Amino acid sequence: MKIILLPMPIAPFSCFENLKISITAVLANKTRSLLTALGVVIGILAVTLMGTLISGLDQSFEKSMEFLGKDVLYIRKFQWFGEDEWWEIRNRPDILVKNAGVIRERSQYAQYVAPVSEWWTSVRKDDESVSGVRVSGTTEDYAMITVAEVEKGRFFSRAENRSGARVALIGKDISDVLFEGRNILGERIQIGNYNFRIIGEIEKQGKFLGMFSLDKQVIIPIGAHQRLFSRRGWTGINVKVDNAHIDDAHEELTALMRQLRRLRPSEKNNFAINRQDPFREQYSMIKLAIGGTGIFITILSLVVGGIGIANIMFVSVKERTKEIGTRKALGATSRMILGQFLMESMTICLFGGLVGMSLAYGGSRIINSFFPSEMPIGLAMSALGLSMLVGIISGLAPSYKAANLDPIDALRYE
Amino acid sequence: MITTKRTINVSLILLKKIYKIYHVGGEEVRALDGVDLTISKNEFLAIKGPSGSGKSTLMNMIGCLDTPTSGDYEFEGEMVHNMDDNQLASIRNRKIGFVFQTFNLLPKATAQHNVEIPLVYANIRREKRLMMASKALTSVGLEDRMHHKPNELSGGQRQRVAIARALVNNPSLVLADEPTGNLDSKSGQEIMDVFDALHQEGNTIVLVTHEDYIAAHANRTIQLF
Repeated sequence: MKIILLPMPIAPFSCFENLKISITAVLANKTRSLLTALGVVIGILAVTLMGTLISGLDQSFEKSMEFLGKDVLYIRKFQWFGEDEWWEIRNRPDILVKNAGVIRERSQYAQYVAPVSEWWTSVRKDDESVSGVRVSGTTEDYAMITVAEVEKGRFFSRAENRSGARVALIGKDISDVLFEGRNILGERIQIGNYNFRIIGEIEKQGKFLGMFSLDKQVIIPIGAHQRLFSRRGWTGINVKVDNAHIDDAHEELTALMRQLRRLRPSEKNNFAINRQDPFREQYSMIKLAIGGTGIFITILSLVVGGIGIANIMFVSVKERTKEIGTRKALGATSRMILGQFLMESMTICLFGGLVGMSLAYGGSRIINSFFPSEMPIGLAMSALGLSMLVGIISGLAPSYKAANLDPIDALRYE
Repeated sequence: MITTKRTINVSLILLKKIYKIYHVGGEEVRALDGVDLTISKNEFLAIKGPSGSGKSTLMNMIGCLDTPTSGDYEFEGEMVHNMDDNQLASIRNRKIGFVFQTFNLLPKATAQHNVEIPLVYANIRREKRLMMASKALTSVGLEDRMHHKPNELSGGQRQRVAIARALVNNPSLVLADEPTGNLDSKSGQEIMDVFDALHQEGNTIVLVTHEDYIAAHANRTIQLF
């Protein structure tokens, strides 16, 4: 028999017939097909779940970054992603609320400056209480810096801030637990041991990087905060600048802070100016790690799966040698036989891909219960395409073997 | 050596000086050594001979499964000895119906689907295929077994499905290789009745056998030694 040449297209005529034959063959050996396709199942599962995870992470990361804002600089005692040694930074002086006033006066780039003092305590209403609530004391400028809107009521005024009025805005988590949908405005709550009157509610913001809820917070005037909670917690200054000049603003604020701290040129900064960029850097590294792991697992399991499929296809060709001989005697050309077995190998892979995707869909529902995510359709489709490619590649050698069988030998095979 | 009982005129197949030579371990084996054979239309020819007589080789040659080392093979005016694999597949598909000793049906497929297969390779539309397959099955008396799978049929019925499959594309030649070899004598007789009827209808049949009483159904017998 002559050997058929390698680059041989599959006759389009028989695609549908071949698909039927393949489905019959796959269904006839369900367990075998499933076990064979396991590598492909895992491969497709890995790549799709990874995609879902990354899409979810992206969404929640962007939402968290929205909270930080890309045009806000955070003057803090420590760097968010600091590589400083702890003994060098442990004696840093605290940021003072009065520093904010100086910055507001002297900075050219700052649009709004708000000192923020934070302390964690419990919030109570009658018998209900929420513990571990973030209590932020700030000024009315905070409303101009944060992206979170006041959903009900209003922010406190400059006068209320000055007078240290005991008024509070509460987050969604607090109102849900303490009020369960009842009216909140004008109601009294206890923050720590002190009574406050609710004047507003902040819209729902969700979790920050999936770690803690941004809605478990109350915002009070900084005057009250200093009087009641000043000896505890920490203080920072949030500065909103023009996004176009954020780097200039960064330098200017550094210089201003050094001036305030009376640092000599030889001395290092004993404060930090944070922004969202390092979060992005950290995040893209995490994403790269997740993506890399996912792709590694995917490639590995697809290669192993492909070898398994090639193996089972050789078995299938051997088992059906007589069928191949009969089909050839009845008029099947080599390329029709080639098409039949390629289609069968693709069908197994496609079947594996579909099983993998349905598992991934289940998995993405689970991921979704932790943070909002969706299965990327494009990725799922390419994953299916990939499984078909694995089918073609691993089916090539067995299919060529089948196609090149001598009909006489094949018919005689027992 | 070939003995001829009787000849009919219009020729379907012309074999001239056909040689088939195999090389086995450096040794030359002449499976066919200059065979001349003419098969006419509507002939019922039996080929007899013991194992190793070249019976199978000759049958494969006539069935266009194999090409000769040298010699001319003309099938209804087409020069088979020059054909490549695809052309051979096409001529098998269009002009030859095979009946095998072991039936060679697809176990997972219904009788109707088994009969459809040659038509699939002939690129015929599904509706027409189903119709032609039913017709062929009806002609062998299996109209009520169309949707049965081979394991739901008796040996004789399976062979009749195979005959229907051989007939479905209206071949010029039905080539049967020991068609009763795997059947009991009663079923074998039924199958031979089918072949007789086909011959009566004007089909050309070549039958390979080693049984005299089977060969007796033919109107010409060639004996290979």
